[in-house]
Amino acid sequence: MSAEVFSVFYQFADVFAFLILSAAGLAIVFGMMGVINMAHGEFIMCGAYVTVGLVNLGVPLAIAQALAALTAGLIGVLVEFLVVRRFYKRPLDSLLATWGLSLIVTQSMLLIVGSAVRGIGTPEGSFAIGGYTFSTYRLVLFGCAVAVLAGLYVIFMKTRFGVIARATMQNAAMAKALGARTGRIYAISFGIGTGLAGLCGALYAPTMTLIPTMGATFVVESFVTVVIGGANVLLGTAPAAVFLAMIRMALNASYGQIIGQIGMLVAVILIIRVMPEGLSSVLVRRGR
Amino acid sequence: MFKLLEGPQTLGRGKIFWSCFLAVLAGALAYPLFADSYDVGNFAYFLIWIFMALGLCLMWGYGGMLSFGQTLFFGIAGYGYGVLAINMGGGTATIGALVLSVFLAMLAAGILGYFMIWGGINGIFFGIVTLSATLVLAFFLGQTAGPEWHIGPARLNGFNGMKGMDPLTVGDFYIEGSALYYVMIALIVIVYLALRMLVNSGIGNVIVATRENPQRAEMLGYDVRKYQLLTFVIGSGLAGLSGALYTSWGQFITPSSIGLPAAAMPIVWVAFSGRSDLTATLVGSFLLLFGFQTITVYSQQAALVLMGALLLATVMLAPQGFVLGIGRLVAGWWRGRRRDDGAVMAEAGRLQSEES
Amino acid sequence: MISGRKLGMVLLGAMLGTAASMSAAQAAEPPLKVGLLEDVSGDLAFMGMPKLHGSQLAVEEINKSGGILGRQIELIHLDPQGDNARYQEFGRRLLNRDKVDVLIGGITSASREALRPIVDRTTTPYFYTNQYEGGVCDASMISMGAVPEQQFSTLIPWMVEKFGKKVYVIAADYNFGQISAEWNRKIMKDLGGEVVGEEFIPLGVSQFAQTIQNIQKAKPDWLLTINVGAAQDSFFEQAAAANLNLPMGSSIKIMLGFEHKRFKPPALNNMHATANWFEEIDTPEATEFKKRWHAKFPDELYINDMGYNAYNALYMYKTLVEKAKSTKLEDMRKVIAAGDACIDAPEGKVCIDPKSQHTSHRMRLISVGPKHEVKVEKDYGTIQPYWLGEIGCDLTKKNDKDQYTPSHLPKKS
Repeated sequence: MSAEVFSVFYQFADVFAFLILSAAGLAIVFGMMGVINMAHGEFIMCGAYVTVGLVNLGVPLAIAQALAALTAGLIGVLVEFLVVRRFYKRPLDSLLATWGLSLIVTQSMLLIVGSAVRGIGTPEGSFAIGGYTFSTYRLVLFGCAVAVLAGLYVIFMKTRFGVIARATMQNAAMAKALGARTGRIYAISFGIGTGLAGLCGALYAPTMTLIPTMGATFVVESFVTVVIGGANVLLGTAPAAVFLAMIRMALNASYGQIIGQIGMLVAVILIIRVMPEGLSSVLVRRGR
Repeated sequence: MFKLLEGPQTLGRGKIFWSCFLAVLAGALAYPLFADSYDVGNFAYFLIWIFMALGLCLMWGYGGMLSFGQTLFFGIAGYGYGVLAINMGGGTATIGALVLSVFLAMLAAGILGYFMIWGGINGIFFGIVTLSATLVLAFFLGQTAGPEWHIGPARLNGFNGMKGMDPLTVGDFYIEGSALYYVMIALIVIVYLALRMLVNSGIGNVIVATRENPQRAEMLGYDVRKYQLLTFVIGSGLAGLSGALYTSWGQFITPSSIGLPAAAMPIVWVAFSGRSDLTATLVGSFLLLFGFQTITVYSQQAALVLMGALLLATVMLAPQGFVLGIGRLVAGWWRGRRRDDGAVMAEAGRLQSEES
Repeated sequence: MISGRKLGMVLLGAMLGTAASMSAAQAAEPPLKVGLLEDVSGDLAFMGMPKLHGSQLAVEEINKSGGILGRQIELIHLDPQGDNARYQEFGRRLLNRDKVDVLIGGITSASREALRPIVDRTTTPYFYTNQYEGGVCDASMISMGAVPEQQFSTLIPWMVEKFGKKVYVIAADYNFGQISAEWNRKIMKDLGGEVVGEEFIPLGVSQFAQTIQNIQKAKPDWLLTINVGAAQDSFFEQAAAANLNLPMGSSIKIMLGFEHKRFKPPALNNMHATANWFEEIDTPEATEFKKRWHAKFPDELYINDMGYNAYNALYMYKTLVEKAKSTKLEDMRKVIAAGDACIDAPEGKVCIDPKSQHTSHRMRLISVGPKHEVKVEKDYGTIQPYWLGEIGCDLTKKNDKDQYTPSHLPKKS
C-alpha cells in the first residue's frame, strides 16, 4: 500500500518538476518582461549541450550543470543586448525575432555539432519500494524545482534588485525617473530567465536524447504553465504547475499519455475560460 | 458601395494604386501563357495559403485578436473536405464539399469564438486557448490510425493522413494546373476586395475601434463582442478555405498540417508582411512562401538558417513589416522628390498608432 | 587457370568497350536523373543524413563504373525538412519540372503516403527505402526495406521462447506503432502468449516515469519497444535509471536508430532486433562496403539500415533498367514480374517479390550486451516478403494502390 502512495507522489513530483523547471525561465522572460520568447527551447537545448560537452571533457556533472546554466544566462544577456532590447515596446514583434533566432540556432547546431550527440547516462542510481523501482535522480529534479521556486521568490520579493526589477517591469519610465538603471535591470532579468532555461536543459540532459530540436518538447508546456499562472508570475506559476501536474498525472495513470496530453490542454482552455486573467488574479483577490 | 474599396483602414488609394493593381492582375492572368506548367501549378499552390494569412490579418491586424488557431480551422475544413468529397462521391459534388467544409470551419469558429469572447478572454490568453484547441485536434487526429476511425467510407488514417478524395471537379474536368491557377486568382481578387470593403465599412471601423480601446467602443454603444465574433468567424473561415483547397490540391492531409510548427506559420507570414494592412499581407505572404521554398530548394541544409536570418533582419530593420517597410521607403523617396513630406508623416503616424 | 585468364581478357575487353561506348554515348545521351527526397534538417536529420550519404556513395560508384546503360546519373536532392507539405511540393517539382527518371526517398510513413498519390499519377517508379509497417500494394512503389513478416515473425517467437510468454508493448501513437502492435497481437495469439499491456505514446513525449511504473505493475517477461523519434528514445535512459532491467525486442532499434551508439551503456542492454543490415555485420562483402562508406564519409557515426537500403535502391534501379533495357516503369515491372530483379547486396542476394514489389532480405537476430556490444544470435537466411501476396495483393494482375494491415485486408473479389 505504501508503495502505491509513494508512487502517486513520485509521479506527481515528476510532472511538477518538469513543468516548473521548463516554465521558470519563461515566467520571467514572458510573464514579467512580456517578451514572447520562441527561442526558450533553444536556451534549454543550450544548457543540455553545454552540460554534455563539459561532462565529456571530464568535468563533474553538478559543476557542468552549474556552468551550463551560467553559459545560457550570459548568452541570454548578449541576446538581450543585441536583439530583444528593441522589442520591449512592441512585444508581438519579439515573437518573430526570437522565432527567427530559434531557426538559426537549431540549424546551426545541427551543422556544427552534428545530428546526434552521445548521452552521458543518469547518475544517482535507483531505489525500490514494494514491487516498484524508482530513479533517485528524478527526486533530485523535484528538489531542484522547489529550490528554483524558493530562489525566485527570494530574489524578486526580498532583495533590493527584486524590488527595482518589479518596479521596472511595471512602469519603466517611472522607475527610470526614480534613478533605476532600467536597461541593466532588463538585461539581468532576461539573463536570469535564460539561465533558468539553461538550468532546465542541464538538469534534464542526462535523462534525454540530445538533438538540436530537443527544446521543442518543452515549449508548449512552459508557455501553458506561465499563461495559466497569470499576471502575477511569482504567485501564479507554482499553483498552475501543481494544478496541471495533478490533472496530467491522474489522466496519464488511468487513461494513458495521449489522454493525459489532450486532457491537460482541455483543462487549460477551461481554466482560462473561468479565470480569464489566470490563476494568480484569483489568488491575489482572495489575498486582499 | 465601391467607394468602400479605399478608405482610412487600407493603404493604397487613387489612380496610381489601382493602375498598379490592374497591372499586377493582368500580369498574373497572362503568366500561364509564357511560364512552365509546373511553375503555374506551384504559384497556384502558394495562393492557396494566402487566404489563411488574409484571415489572420483581419483578426490580428485589424481586430487585435492574435489567433494561433488558423491551422485548427484549416484542419477542420481540410479534413471536412476529404470526408465530404469521399462520401458525396466526387465529381461536381466536390464543389459542394468545398462550400460545406468552409461552412463547417466557420461554424466551429462560431462556437469556439462565442466560448472565448463571451468569456472575456483576450490578449495572450486568446492565443493560448486557440493554440491549445489546435493541438488537441492535432493530437486527436494523430491517434486515429486504426480502421475503426472512419466517417462513412472515409478513413481518417491517423498520422499518415487521409487520402483518396477527388480534387475539385466540374463534371469530368479536374480543376488543376492552369485552371486551378485561374480559380485561385479569381478567389484571391474577390476575397481581397471584399475584405477591403469590409474594413472600410462601418463594421470595419468598429472592429478597429475595438482593437484600439474596447471600453471606449463599448461606451459608444456597440456590443463589441458581436463584432469580435464576426471578425473571428470570417478570419477563421478564410483559414478553412485554405484548408479545403489544400486537401483538394494534394488529395492528402495529415495532422501535422494542424499542430506545431504549422500553427506558427500564418503568424510568421503576417508578422513578416506587416499585419496592419491587407495589401501588405497579401504581397508579403506570397513573397515569403515563394522565398522560403526557393531558399529550401537551392541551399540545402543552410535553408533554415537563412530563413531565420531573413525574419530576424526584417523585424529589426523594418519594424512595420517587410512590405510596409519597403513601401514606406519607396513612398518616402517618391514624395520626398515631390517635396511633400507632410503626407509621409501622416501615413507614418497612422501606422504608428496601430503599434500600441 | 586458363579460364581465369580468359575471363580477365573478356572483362578487360568489356570494360574498354563500355568506356569507348560511354564516351560516345555521353555526348549523345543526357544523364539519368534521380530525384531524392531526404530530411537532412529538423527532427529526423540524424536518420536522413545516412540515407543521403548512401545515395551519394552509390551514385558515385555507379558513375565511376560507367553509369547505367552507359548513361551517367545526376542526383537531384531536395531537403523537405520533415514537412509533409514540402514532400508534396518537392515531389511535384522533381516529377513535373525536373522530370526525374526515378524518385527515391521519404522517411516517415506519412511522407511516403504524401508522395504516393503524386507518383501514382505519373509513370515514374518510386523507391521507398525504409523498413516500415508493411502492407503498401502499389505498382508505382518498390520497397527496399524490411517489413513485419521479416522482422516480427522472427523476433517475437524467439523472444517468447527465450524470455517467456508475457509481453508489454510501448508503441508510438501513430500508424507505424499501431500497426506494429497489431502484428504483435496476432503473432502472440498464434503462439499462445499474452499481451499484458499496450501503451501508445504521442510523438514528441519525452517523460516516461508513469510508463515505467505501469510496466512494473504489469510484470511482463519482456518489452516490445516500438517507440519512435529522439524524444521517445529518452525512454531507454529513464528506464535504465529506474533499474527496470527487462529484456527488450524491437523492429527499429539498434540498426535504424543506433541507440547503442547514442546512449551510454548499459541503457540498451538486453535489446534484441531482427535486421537485414546493421553496421556490425562482418561478412567480407559487408566489410568491403563499410570501408568504402567510411572512406567517403569519415564522420559517419553509424551506417544504419536506412542508409544501407538507400544505397541498395540505386543498384536495384540500375539492375532493373539494364535488364529491361529501358527506364520505363512498365518495362521494369516486366523484369520484376519475371522474378529477375535481384542484386548482390552487402547483406547477400536480395530480390524483389513480383506480387508485392517488396524486397526479400537475409534476416539476422541481434542482441546488445551490457557494454553495448552487438552479437548475432541467429541467422534466419533469406525471408520473402510473403504477407501481401498471401492476403491477395498481386501487382502483376491488379494495382490496388492501397495499404493493408492485419485488420484491413483486401476485399475478396
